[in-house]
Amino acid sequence: MKGKFGILVALVVFFGVVASGCIGGEETSKTKATKVELTGDFVKDVVAIGKALEENGINEVKFSAWGSGDPNSVMRVHGIVEAARRINKVWEENGVNVRVIITDKYYAAAFQDAYQEYLSKQPLGQAGDFFVNSYAFLPTLADEGYILEITEYANAYKSVIDDFYPSLIEASKFDGKLYGLPQDTEARPFYIRTDVAAKIGFNLEGLEEKVKNGEFTWSDVYQWAKKAKENGAAEWGLIHRKGSAHPDLIQFIFAFGGKLYDENSKKLVVDVPAIYKWLYVEWKFAQDGLLPKDIMSWDWAKQIHPAIVEGRTLFDIGGTWYWTEWQTKDYYGKEGTPRPLKPEEVQAWLAYTLFPAGEEGLNPVTLSQPFVWMINSQAGQQNPSYEEFKELYHELAFLMIIKASDPDINAIHSVISAHLPVRKAAAELIRDEEWLNELKNLNLNLDQEVKDNLRDIVATTVHPINAKFLADVSYMLEYTKLAPAHPKYPALADIFKEALDKVLRGDMSPEDGVEYIIQKVNADPELAQNVEVIGEVPKDWQFP
Amino acid sequence: MKGKKLQTLSFFLSPMIIMVGLFYLIPLIFTIYISFTKMKNWNTEKYLSEVVGFYNYQRLFHMFQHDPMIKAILLTTVIFVGITLIINVLGGLLLALGTFFVNESSASAIRLLWLLPRMSPIAVYSLVWYYFFHGSDIGTLNSILMKLGAISTPIPWGQMTPWGAWSVIIFVNGLVGVSFGMIVFTSSLNQIPKELVIAARVDGASAWQISRRILIPLTKWHFLYVLTWQFLSLLTTYPHLFLLVEWDLVNRDYGTTLALYVFNTAFGRGEQDQGLAAAAAVILSIIGILGGFVTLKVLQFERMIHEPRGDIE
Repeated sequence: MKGKFGILVALVVFFGVVASGCIGGEETSKTKATKVELTGDFVKDVVAIGKALEENGINEVKFSAWGSGDPNSVMRVHGIVEAARRINKVWEENGVNVRVIITDKYYAAAFQDAYQEYLSKQPLGQAGDFFVNSYAFLPTLADEGYILEITEYANAYKSVIDDFYPSLIEASKFDGKLYGLPQDTEARPFYIRTDVAAKIGFNLEGLEEKVKNGEFTWSDVYQWAKKAKENGAAEWGLIHRKGSAHPDLIQFIFAFGGKLYDENSKKLVVDVPAIYKWLYVEWKFAQDGLLPKDIMSWDWAKQIHPAIVEGRTLFDIGGTWYWTEWQTKDYYGKEGTPRPLKPEEVQAWLAYTLFPAGEEGLNPVTLSQPFVWMINSQAGQQNPSYEEFKELYHELAFLMIIKASDPDINAIHSVISAHLPVRKAAAELIRDEEWLNELKNLNLNLDQEVKDNLRDIVATTVHPINAKFLADVSYMLEYTKLAPAHPKYPALADIFKEALDKVLRGDMSPEDGVEYIIQKVNADPELAQNVEVIGEVPKDWQFP
Repeated sequence: MKGKKLQTLSFFLSPMIIMVGLFYLIPLIFTIYISFTKMKNWNTEKYLSEVVGFYNYQRLFHMFQHDPMIKAILLTTVIFVGITLIINVLGGLLLALGTFFVNESSASAIRLLWLLPRMSPIAVYSLVWYYFFHGSDIGTLNSILMKLGAISTPIPWGQMTPWGAWSVIIFVNGLVGVSFGMIVFTSSLNQIPKELVIAARVDGASAWQISRRILIPLTKWHFLYVLTWQFLSLLTTYPHLFLLVEWDLVNRDYGTTLALYVFNTAFGRGEQDQGLAAAAAVILSIIGILGGFVTLKVLQFERMIHEPRGDIE
């Protein structure tokens, strides 16, 4: 009996200990933080998140970064790598034993391909945690729940958010909520070959102002292009980009006072008078041999860029990023083996203005396509206990893009890729010659891997001439228009491209081109529901 | 006894039944179901249960009726499938017969050469022909012809409608498809007892007579298989065409077949509309089934599967 009593006591004590352990354990797990209130003090927030992760037994956080674009825009991925290093440093300095590791760094040349990849892999949980892409895709991704809404987090970081240009923050919103932070933007300058202009007596002095005031219009562009061709100063009067993915040519619609989107009806717009004028101008240029009829099938590297850098055209509709692309790619083949241009050559041979007004009384324009840092709505999924600590991973991911938006990271990207900075502090930095010198020597506090990846690009692109160019074109953002961030816009852009190609080749008249666009829109009932056709082909309009 | 037979049958047929069920039937049923939903952007959670009836089919037929490109696309589909099919089947047969009469090492080299288009990644292979047929002086073909003095200005091969565009897409796809027929026919020729060929040789038959009287009749089954397979494959192929059109090498209207049109409409414009794509896939499957059925009828498949009458009662 005594023995039984002893066993009973032992059991009670044992269960008591176990139970108290369990209860105690439960209490401990209840106190384990699964969320941190962001305060806006970066170091404090990073440390708080780090400690919460550490307390939960997490010492390593894995993220992946997906970016895309031209060869010089690699900071779209390396910005995240650098942000991770800076966060790790904060943790190290504060005795927090947690590290961020960027496991997968994916960089695609075509941003549309990267978007399709993200779209198909996100639901499978295989897409990158950070995704930099055009703002144009943000509405679809937000609507499908594929990217993280960061409005609440951003409220705590108002001082950082306020440093971004407001129009770019607006471009990062969907339905009034913030879904990303601007990464870069650009303008699309209208380039003029100074040497060709000189041959035909085209004085470029004060041209920038004339364009700004709407005094130099597309009729003038036509006259000078014609003169350049007729005098044999250049093979072509005008060269421009191709394809529907690069919406440069819709600048004509804006330059002729048209619109592409109606804020009230939330529909895309086929603005018939403006589109007709656009097609007519291009048709006239092509018919008169000033613009290649087959420009839409020209090869980028072997035809379009060489024609500009070798001075075979007077005008070119391009983008700011051309400026450094010409300095890194072997497009100039006049002396035998193709080579890149030197910064001095680019500066000497190319002048730039806004895209001129379509006709008198209208305004010049430019076009921007901001890129945005977006966070996967499942960011951090490759880490342990994701569901439990999801909020912590998401907060950390948000702080990562806050860090990746540091003025120096943004300024480096701007200088080496000739994109425009998205925040005022970065814009100031690129005017700082001392800082530029440090960048030129890569004497900056950057991750070694980032430095190694930037070395070649920095060597060829960091130059006072390039920094001056960026400063010079920054004013263009005041005139900028954005292509509509509407899920159906790419379909409409495709139709524009098809019509323009047919008009340029002379297979269709400009009127037929407009009719073709309307027919194509109406052929797809879903597209037709999202597009309004306004206005008529002007009867008495003349060009030039 | 009957049970035993069933058991044996099940044992031998089960791998095939599982394969067909898993990779053909279930996807087919899913595709048909998805074609009745609003499924897009791969968002199964949101759209898979949103049934919209015949909406996707109505949208597709509306496009077929009103798209100004559609006549060119349908014509291109017929010409592309018809001519490429002839090239694929006859080219494969000719290559197999040709290599049958040469020594084995030369035959292997020739076969390997013809397999290159199929072995090369699609983008690389298409890029080769992009630069070859490019419509300016950077195009290899134009450059050669200009150096030879045959032409003074470059010819925009793929942009000459319709035959220029058709020729390029047929040529590029034709080269890829020939190797398939070649392998099947080569394998079938190797199954023919050598004695028949030797006996014919002894009797003084020429290579042409051997081919016509012995080899071709004995490859009838394979011919039927290659023809039907390639027909279905050409009806639904689009990767090479997609790149050639996307790179503006060939005219969009006369370089686009029905399969590519559907792909571009459902996937190529920013959105990924799986509902619409599934409806199109169902329609293409129906066309394929009808086409396959007609091919089998024309080539008298039923007669071929009759049990041989045999010579001994």
